[in-house]
Amino acid sequence: MTLEQPTKSCSELRRAQPVFRGLEAGHRACQGCGQALAARLVTEAIGPDVLIANATGCLEVFTTAWPQSAWRVPWLHSVFANTAAVASGMEAALKAQKRNTKVVAFGGDGGTFDIGLQALSGMLERNHNVLYVCFDNEAYMNTGVQRSSSTPHAAETTTSPPGRERAGKRHLKKDLVTIIAAHRIPYAATATVAYPSDLRKKVRRGLQVEGAAFIVVHSPCPLGWGHENALGIEVARLAVQTGLYPMIELERGELVGAMPIREVHPVTDYLRLQDRFKHLFADDPRAREELEHLQELANHNIEVYGLRAQKPDRFDSEGADTVRRGGMRTA
Amino acid sequence: MATLTRGAFAKPGTSLQFKTGDWRLQRPVYLHRNAPCHVACPAGEDPQAYLARLAEGNSQAAWETLVAANPLPAITGRVCHHPCESSCNRGDYDEPLAIHGIERTLGDEAILHGWNYPVRPLSSDALRVAVVGAGPAGLSAAYHLTRLGYRVSLFEAESEAGGLLASAIPAYRLPRSVLGDEIARLLSVGMTFMPRTRLGRDFTLDDLRADHRAIFIGVGNQRGRQWSVDGVVPRDSRPGLDILKEWLSIGSLPAYKSVAIVGGGNTAVDLARVLKFSGIPEVHIISYRAVPGPGVAAEDVMRATAREVRQAIEEGVIIHEHRGVRRLIIRGERVAGVEMVHTKKLTRSAGRRETVEFEGTETILHVEQVIPAVGQEVDPAGLEMLLAGHPFLHPDSWGRLEGFEGIFAGGDVREGAATVSDAIGDGRRAALAIDSYLRNSALPASQRPVVRLNDLNVNYFEPQPRTKIELLPVGERNAEREIEQALPLSHAGIESHRCFSCGECMSCDNCWTLCPDNAVLKTLEETAAGDHYVFDYDYCKGCALCAHECPSGYILMEPEP
Amino acid sequence: MAQQPLEGSQAIAQAVALCRPQVVAAYPITPQTHIVENLAKLIADGKLACELVSVESEFSAASVVLGAAAAGSRAYTATSSQGLLLMTEVLFNIAGLRVPLVLTCANRTVGAPVSLGNDHQDSMAVRDAGWVQLYCADNQEAIDTTIHAFRIAERCELPVMVCVDGFTLTHTLEPLEVPAQQQVDNFVGPYAFARTLKPTDPITLGTVLSHEFYPEVRHAHHRALLDAQEEIVAADREWHALTGRSTGGLLSIEGPPDAQTAILTIGSILGTLADAQAEYRDQAPAKLIKLRAFRPFPVDALKQACEGLRELVVVERAVSLGSGGIIAAEVRAALSEMSSPPRVHSYAIGLGGRDVPMNAYPKLVAAAQSESPPRFAIFDLQPAKLPAEDR
Ligand SMILES: Cc1cc2nc3c(=O)[nH]c(=O)nc-3n(C[C@H](O)[C@H](O)[C@H](O)COP(=O)(O)OP(=O)(O)OC[C@H]3O[C@@H](n4cnc5c(N)ncnc54)[C@H](O)[C@@H]3O)c2cc1C
Ligand SMILES: Cc1ncc(C[n+]2csc(CCOP(=O)(O)OP(=O)(O)O)c2C)c(N)n1
Ligand code: SF4
Ligand code: SF4
Ligand code: SF4
Ligand SMILES: [Mg+2]
Repeated sequence: MTLEQPTKSCSELRRAQPVFRGLEAGHRACQGCGQALAARLVTEAIGPDVLIANATGCLEVFTTAWPQSAWRVPWLHSVFANTAAVASGMEAALKAQKRNTKVVAFGGDGGTFDIGLQALSGMLERNHNVLYVCFDNEAYMNTGVQRSSSTPHAAETTTSPPGRERAGKRHLKKDLVTIIAAHRIPYAATATVAYPSDLRKKVRRGLQVEGAAFIVVHSPCPLGWGHENALGIEVARLAVQTGLYPMIELERGELVGAMPIREVHPVTDYLRLQDRFKHLFADDPRAREELEHLQELANHNIEVYGLRAQKPDRFDSEGADTVRRGGMRTA
Repeated sequence: MATLTRGAFAKPGTSLQFKTGDWRLQRPVYLHRNAPCHVACPAGEDPQAYLARLAEGNSQAAWETLVAANPLPAITGRVCHHPCESSCNRGDYDEPLAIHGIERTLGDEAILHGWNYPVRPLSSDALRVAVVGAGPAGLSAAYHLTRLGYRVSLFEAESEAGGLLASAIPAYRLPRSVLGDEIARLLSVGMTFMPRTRLGRDFTLDDLRADHRAIFIGVGNQRGRQWSVDGVVPRDSRPGLDILKEWLSIGSLPAYKSVAIVGGGNTAVDLARVLKFSGIPEVHIISYRAVPGPGVAAEDVMRATAREVRQAIEEGVIIHEHRGVRRLIIRGERVAGVEMVHTKKLTRSAGRRETVEFEGTETILHVEQVIPAVGQEVDPAGLEMLLAGHPFLHPDSWGRLEGFEGIFAGGDVREGAATVSDAIGDGRRAALAIDSYLRNSALPASQRPVVRLNDLNVNYFEPQPRTKIELLPVGERNAEREIEQALPLSHAGIESHRCFSCGECMSCDNCWTLCPDNAVLKTLEETAAGDHYVFDYDYCKGCALCAHECPSGYILMEPEP
Repeated sequence: MAQQPLEGSQAIAQAVALCRPQVVAAYPITPQTHIVENLAKLIADGKLACELVSVESEFSAASVVLGAAAAGSRAYTATSSQGLLLMTEVLFNIAGLRVPLVLTCANRTVGAPVSLGNDHQDSMAVRDAGWVQLYCADNQEAIDTTIHAFRIAERCELPVMVCVDGFTLTHTLEPLEVPAQQQVDNFVGPYAFARTLKPTDPITLGTVLSHEFYPEVRHAHHRALLDAQEEIVAADREWHALTGRSTGGLLSIEGPPDAQTAILTIGSILGTLADAQAEYRDQAPAKLIKLRAFRPFPVDALKQACEGLRELVVVERAVSLGSGGIIAAEVRAALSEMSSPPRVHSYAIGLGGRDVPMNAYPKLVAAAQSESPPRFAIFDLQPAKLPAEDR
């Protein structure tokens, strides 16, 4: 049954939406793309007064098939590795022109953890007043799912295939946040599409601080992770609730906040939904060992960041996504 | 064809030219499905709907939504056994919503503020319909018929309207003032109320047919069922309901030191409590069935409202569950006790359940009197033609009586109905059936599918204990003071926020927030379905993320046409 | 106008400062380093209001100036050799985006083997990046060309690389004329980039383009570079009117009008060859053609310059290994359009900073008369230094 639409046409309604959306429909991301969602949520929190520098990657490609663009904010893509530097230049220019427009950089995990890390480090060290947002889908997706230094341990990608000799990626996910923290920038945080209010709050905080800020947003990729299109949020939520993707905030490199996990799920709840971990559920001692390994990595996170909730609170892993009638989630 | 731009720059938002909607293999639709509470409510209320209005902070709108189905919420909020709560999805998550408490609060608010039913004045050529019996069934039918634009004559044998509500349900559960206010408001919607006019005595069905286009029969079951133990009836034996009614009308009660009431319905329990309040030290109930509690099969539970049974036990009433009366022990002319035996309802051949007595389990209970409370049947006076010798009428679910066009029936007069909400629901459905009969229009369409817990996404809700409803401490209870206390409006509001909004949009913004394709649009004006969201199928790629993340199961994925 | 003794790098820095860049990206590499050091000092001394971004690599330097220019600021950076090559990806990107920028390349060879020596191997490697490339023969030209560069870049919406020989120019102290601020302000004008990123007109730069439009985008860029010739010439003409100094526009010719032999070269060896031209006026009369603009490649001007010539010796400071002379190849292609083109001789000289002595001039002129000249040779090669198998 299709319901009648209100008297206004969709295009009229689209023009009259109550919040500014920097990323428009008609982009060519895959169905259920977590990065598309993350980017929209982030730009929504930023507002229109911004310049964006975007690294090469899915987000860049699926939004800018000339002559069309899905962006409603001034936006520039240069190359893969230089986004933080382009943003530095934008910021320097705006500073010279005494304009208050914000500068934000967008990069994938490949563009951030790997090829763009040096430029990012430079930007952070020089403490440009730029918010760098990394959309972490844990592999080089645009080139067809190759492993990056952000790919989780034991995950399958086309360059870390499981086989007789290997159980997926051999190495660990790079602890980028610690690297970022070492720059002692005013603000750094991890976030996820599963907690949009928390994400928005962090973006606003990142923009508010004077100087460099960094946020890495866990962004499910149905294509690369092999989960159902509909389950992106579910998967991202479980990443937090298992302890595999801790939600933390750092100021000047010091931990100032962590989202407590009210109900810690076993990592298998998370892994099971994704084909990239399918081989870990085979009847094979190495698979079992890797499952234990991933569980221990989660346990380690929980311990290091003190993630286990003492008592329920409205900003913990269960409370932070609570909705209310009438919308407009808190924060 | 596009013309190249310098450096191949692009204009903002031009991706809108690229309609991604044709990638879709399935499409999301907003679909109002039924909340389980609605399906469970015999009166036809949709608690989800009025809880939503209350959560929005509009208690009058909540009440108006409520009385669209049930005109007597201050009454049902007190006396209904609230199957809505037993079916509430929240019950499988933490605790069910305190729906009855909220219903009652809304009813009381209406009385307090003198809210009136939203009813349009009758037109001068309104058709006439007769309603016989002003118990909850008749009142509900009369109310709904009036709302539907009929000129209703409401005939009542007694001097007051209310039926068993007035004549049998004690004030500690239903204060007389509440009853009076609710009924007064109902009678004043624009019907003609004719008290002390009894069918079979003052008029006949044929008289009614002469000047009414349809008739609703809601006379209840007024005649106590015959009771004896192997043909023996105690001296002075009177049906329990008669004792209760007499106490309610003139305030007199028999004085015994000990008494056993046979039966497990509301009459047995209320009478037991009234007797207990009156000071009788030992009041027993002997029931074939079990005291309600966890794990007790529904069909094995005493018919009285569970809450009342619980309170009766608190108050010292002794319940002998799974017991039958084997023998009356008579000393001289007086009862000295009863011999009880363990019983159980067992399924015998062909699925029939029978009460089996177990030999060797007999016990003696010494009591001064045994009172039967074993149920009523319809008084056939005036209804002979319709009853045709049966103890009850057997209308269909719309109240229609086969072979009697234009005559409808509901409430206790129907076999199987036993509660106030059954009666109210019967009256409402019969009114709709009468309307459809008189207008020659179709009956309302079949039900929408029901939303269950796994259709919801409970990640978006927080566990939160049910708001507590206070009871008068046992020591302070008597037959007059209301035992269950009101849920203050503010608490009711808090409680209403616990509602999962099963099957109905709660405007949480989730779909709008989470669509990766910006394909959900928000609208200020309401859509036809009453929500504020629109799918833009030009761009929706059909990922189903919105459907999965809708907390309340309001989005359904359908194959792309 | 008074001359003042300045080191080349210092002069360039002053010229840049006169153009009032708002963002300068700095990263050290010999022989460029002095330029950004000088700029840093000017900024530190409050003589130039500018954001100095001391980046962590040349790759970022190029990226910073790109970001700045797109965000509406005049921007500048400088580099050499390895640094220029590290920028390569971004250089193509800047040009493709049609963003106006000025970069000084203090020319140095590219390792391995490592050498600080001056030649043009670095800038020649990025000749196809889509930039304007102007080569300076001396430090006065470096000053003037730097100033022209901003104007050309902004008017043509193309990045301009000003190539200045490392050490030979950058580290040489000589009396130079530094124009007045007002003069430069009038000449260059304020920075205005049509596609400046701004929230009020939020365009998207750096899109993905399909083959449906790729040939056209290349055409447009190529066309823009060809059209830039006019702007290069006009800038020179106007600057001449303002200052009395000309840098020769696309190319310039010196020497006896009736000479049938000419030497074409690029960059600072022109100075040596010009001195030699005077010295050997009678022994080896020849014209000297100074190629100033290598990109755009001034085919028409070149054809005109070569009218009546019989021998044209192209002497350059880089090799396209496995092919030969880079400029010579292009010159040959250009002159093939003439009805009676001169013979083109192709030599590389002074690679890795080897000194080009005055006497190279008569040798070159003599070589031009050879019966069977080599298609290409390294003119100052000393074969004895090679292992036998490599000779
Ligand atoms: C003691 C007791 C406690 C109960 N407690 C609860 C409870 O807690 N919750 C609950 O849901 N249900 C309870 N019930 C059951 C509930 O009261 C009935 O199911 C309900 O009242 C039935 O409504 P009705 O309109 O069909 O019949 P009634 O309430 O019996 O009303 C019938 C009306 O018709 C009138 N009438 C009868 N014959 C004629 C005639 N010939 N002509 C004109 N008028 C006539 C009667 O005077 C009466 O007013 C209780 C019943 C009893 C006896
Ligand atoms: C210098 C360079 N190397 C490689 C590529 C090819 N490339 C384009 S996108 C991409 C992967 C991007 O991965 P990531 O940054 O994680 O973004 P995602 O596509 O996963 O969103 C690669 C390797 C490139 N464009 N540039
Ligand atoms: S590959 Fe992954 S990140 Fe890229 S568009 Fe598809 S879902 Fe998004
Ligand atoms: S997600 Fe929220 S706003 Fe959207 S349909 Fe469901 S209840 Fe309504
Ligand atoms: S989330 Fe968006 S794209 Fe996906 S099915 Fe819902 S409306 Fe369509
Ligand atoms: Mg990635």
